[in-house]
Amino acid sequence: MRTKDRKDLFPGALEMMILQTLKRQPLHGYALVQHIKQTSRDLLQIEEGSLYPALQRMLKEGWVKANWTVSGSGRRVRVYELTPAGGKHLEREVSDFERMLEGIRLVLSLGKL
Amino acid sequence: MNWIRQLFTRRQLERDLSEEIQEHIDEKVDALMESGLSREEAAAKARREFGNITLLTEQGRDVWRWSPVEDFLADIRFAWRQLRKSPAFAVAGVLTLALGMGVNTAVFSVVNAVLLRPLSYPQSERLVSVKSLDVRGEPHPTDLSYPTFFDFRRENKVFEHIVSYRDEEFSLTGTGDPLHLRGEIVSWDLFPVLGIQPSIGRGFLPEEERSGQRVVVISHQVWQERFGGDPTVVGRSVRIDRQPQTIVGVAPPGFTFPIASQPVDMWTTLSRDVDSGTAVPVTEQRGARMLNVIGRLRDGVTIEQAQAQMDLIAASLARQYPDSNKNTPRTYLRSEIENLTGNAKPPLLILLAAAGLVLLVACGNVANLLLMRTAERAREYAVRTAIGAGRARLVRQAITESLTLSTIGCTLGVLAAIGTIRLILPLAGESLPRITEVNIDGRVLLFSAALAAATSLVFGLVPVLRIIKPQVVEGLKEGSDTTTDRGEGLRNALCVGQVALGLVLLSIAGLLIASFHTMLNRDLGFQPAGLLSFGVSPQQEQITFYTRLGEKLRNLPGVTSSAIAMPLPLIGSEMTVAFNIQDRPAAPAERPRSNMAIVSPGYFRTIGAPIIQGRDFNEQDHLDSAPVLIVNQAFARKFFPGESALGKRIEPGATYGAAGTKTREIVGIVGNAKQSLFTADPDPVYYFPYKQLPWCCPSVLVRSQLPPLSLESDIRRTVASLDKQLPLYRVRTMEALFARGMSQSLFLVLLLGSFAAIALLLTVTGLYGLLAYSVVRRTREIGLRVALGATPAQVRGIVLRRAMTFVLIGIAIGLAGAVAGGHVLKTALFGVAPYSPLLLTIACLVVVFAGALAAYLPARHAASIDPMRALRSE
Repeated sequence: MRTKDRKDLFPGALEMMILQTLKRQPLHGYALVQHIKQTSRDLLQIEEGSLYPALQRMLKEGWVKANWTVSGSGRRVRVYELTPAGGKHLEREVSDFERMLEGIRLVLSLGKL
Repeated sequence: MNWIRQLFTRRQLERDLSEEIQEHIDEKVDALMESGLSREEAAAKARREFGNITLLTEQGRDVWRWSPVEDFLADIRFAWRQLRKSPAFAVAGVLTLALGMGVNTAVFSVVNAVLLRPLSYPQSERLVSVKSLDVRGEPHPTDLSYPTFFDFRRENKVFEHIVSYRDEEFSLTGTGDPLHLRGEIVSWDLFPVLGIQPSIGRGFLPEEERSGQRVVVISHQVWQERFGGDPTVVGRSVRIDRQPQTIVGVAPPGFTFPIASQPVDMWTTLSRDVDSGTAVPVTEQRGARMLNVIGRLRDGVTIEQAQAQMDLIAASLARQYPDSNKNTPRTYLRSEIENLTGNAKPPLLILLAAAGLVLLVACGNVANLLLMRTAERAREYAVRTAIGAGRARLVRQAITESLTLSTIGCTLGVLAAIGTIRLILPLAGESLPRITEVNIDGRVLLFSAALAAATSLVFGLVPVLRIIKPQVVEGLKEGSDTTTDRGEGLRNALCVGQVALGLVLLSIAGLLIASFHTMLNRDLGFQPAGLLSFGVSPQQEQITFYTRLGEKLRNLPGVTSSAIAMPLPLIGSEMTVAFNIQDRPAAPAERPRSNMAIVSPGYFRTIGAPIIQGRDFNEQDHLDSAPVLIVNQAFARKFFPGESALGKRIEPGATYGAAGTKTREIVGIVGNAKQSLFTADPDPVYYFPYKQLPWCCPSVLVRSQLPPLSLESDIRRTVASLDKQLPLYRVRTMEALFARGMSQSLFLVLLLGSFAAIALLLTVTGLYGLLAYSVVRRTREIGLRVALGATPAQVRGIVLRRAMTFVLIGIAIGLAGAVAGGHVLKTALFGVAPYSPLLLTIACLVVVFAGALAAYLPARHAASIDPMRALRSE
């Protein structure tokens, strides 16, 4: 019943990317997806819709807040914005993630010696 | 509490989500169209890249849900809708369950009040009843004598307090009308042993056991009714049995001891027995076993440890006093609650077991109903599985449906039980201790709820098993399940099981009814109709009083004869005394014992028992004339086999006043008038003439040609004309006494009879439902048979044969259960063998008849199937 993230993403990865993107600027869903896709140079296979359950989760946790507004192109959009709590969560997640990456890198580099 | 707010704002959240997703797709389509795709292509691509919109929306929503509870509530709502959609099924299921649950709740509430609830004294689990164990023959508990009790009290180290008590009748005079009081003569520490404080005044003091002390504690009720709740009553002197006695305390409201059907009015010390007026006071007679004893265990002492120590004391007493204690070298300790309710246990457990069987039958019915529904809903389940419903979800849904059903059934059942209890309790009369305390308390509700849960598991599991292995493809095929139905075998088995259980209950009820009938119609050896009895306790000149009372009573219109007797027959009170046969003397401990009774001349004529040989007592059999006895035929046969008892001389242990035992000549032999209600064989009894053994206080018996109770006011006037200060008590017809003795059996018979009827009804409706359903399912087949030339009779035969197959297999299984049931019941039966071929045959016939009844309508329906229509419906 819970969101099944794509296999090529580990749990929390999508959330981390969303938070990181929102940290730079508030965005609405469509723009968020496009931004992530472009920034990742389409290397990550993201089902566009999977963004929304993730956003709902983050709304519930209070990491982001959302407001309806009208976009530059005159479209009614719901813009998400990072909250201070979201910022803290992001920092924690990123540092955890980097530690993990470092650990994995060390183990992988063993074989090359 | 965040989630509560979320429940309210969720609709908004969900709207936002849907709108947002829609906007996303619109924007994407616009973007794709700008890059040169047609609208259709763009829309398709947008959706493809977005993913499963429904699923994702749902996942988005799920974030906000408090899922376990909400799923559950949703399941219940769904279950409720399902039930409302098929009201016939719902009503049948709920009523069936309500019947089963109601029966069980009612019976359990009685079990709870009588057997389970602790006694209403502080730390009552430490209260223990103490008896001697008579080891002659089958070891059996007996009462204690005062000297033995005193030795127990002095030498034990296991009881905080140990107290003797015995019933006695008293009359209170000098404060308005004479009042009869039920009293207890107790040792001094009655209130300490129970852990109770009198609400006013005090309990007894140790020195108040000595000769000449006359102190009483009165019950709250007597205090209210006789003394108007006056608090200064403590310290007041009242006349009880014409002696001045001092009220030292008033018991708290609701307090009674011992716990019996009738509350006790007053308590006094054994000082009265110290002054018993006999040559040797009863408090010094080791052979006079007349006491009940209750003790409170010291902290940390188990009942087994107490028993071990008491056994040692009893063994040493047996060595020290062989004449009186040789046969009781051991003791018999039981928790007080067991002592009180032990006799009620077997019948109540039988009832509880029977109620359980009824519930099983009801479960069978509901399981069958559910199975039929599952079969009908097989396609629904298959569809839901096909579109991705998880198996766990389906099973949970099915269980919720069962739970919903049983919750409604249980609620109705409990309500029905509350009503039923009011109806059935009066039937039990005084036959069950603490029966007046029956109500539906928390424990009963918990029991019912647990039962409902267990029940829904039992019947709910069956359809679940079927859902677990769904054959999706087969289920989806149109019409594929009209010929093969995998649930059928299970349904048939359930039905057979019901028939079997129905037969078991029916045969048990049959046995009890037969037993009750035997008991009701057996020869009592006398004529209870037209007999009235009452108690009166003359304080002085007893012999003169009773003689004059008898003369006056016989002059009343309608009265043909009167007599006095102690104890009365059939009231469950017995006096047993040992005796020495002159021709075959024996050491005191080896002497035979028998029930005795004290009666006046004319007693046998009054109750209607024939004098077979010799003579009746007459007015000349008094203290100054030759000591005599009359025995019944059973006594003569048992103690003088092969010879005539007439003229034989025996020396009973019963004494009066300063005189010792006397050797008495048997001057008459009478027919076996029943003394005890519950022995199947005639019980040996020997009768003493009242004037030679004027113990206090016999009851008076009057035989009348008028309805006996119409004499009551005449009798009251007659007694008052002799002595204004004598209260009359326990005015009852002999038939009422008989009925009272029968009330426990009647209770059992009526309840088990109705259980059997309910079970039979459920079995019939279950069988009917199954057959009707199978006829509907086989409409096509039957239509085909009719089209091929089957006659209506042949079609009916198909249905009937099917019904009879169930019934006969059920009977075969049920017979084994019925025999086992009869075995369990053995001790509750009177004059009926536990397996009576006749009764079993009748029970089987009733079941067969019920089966035929159940098959009748479906068979008729089958025979009326129009082949054209049946075949066209496909």
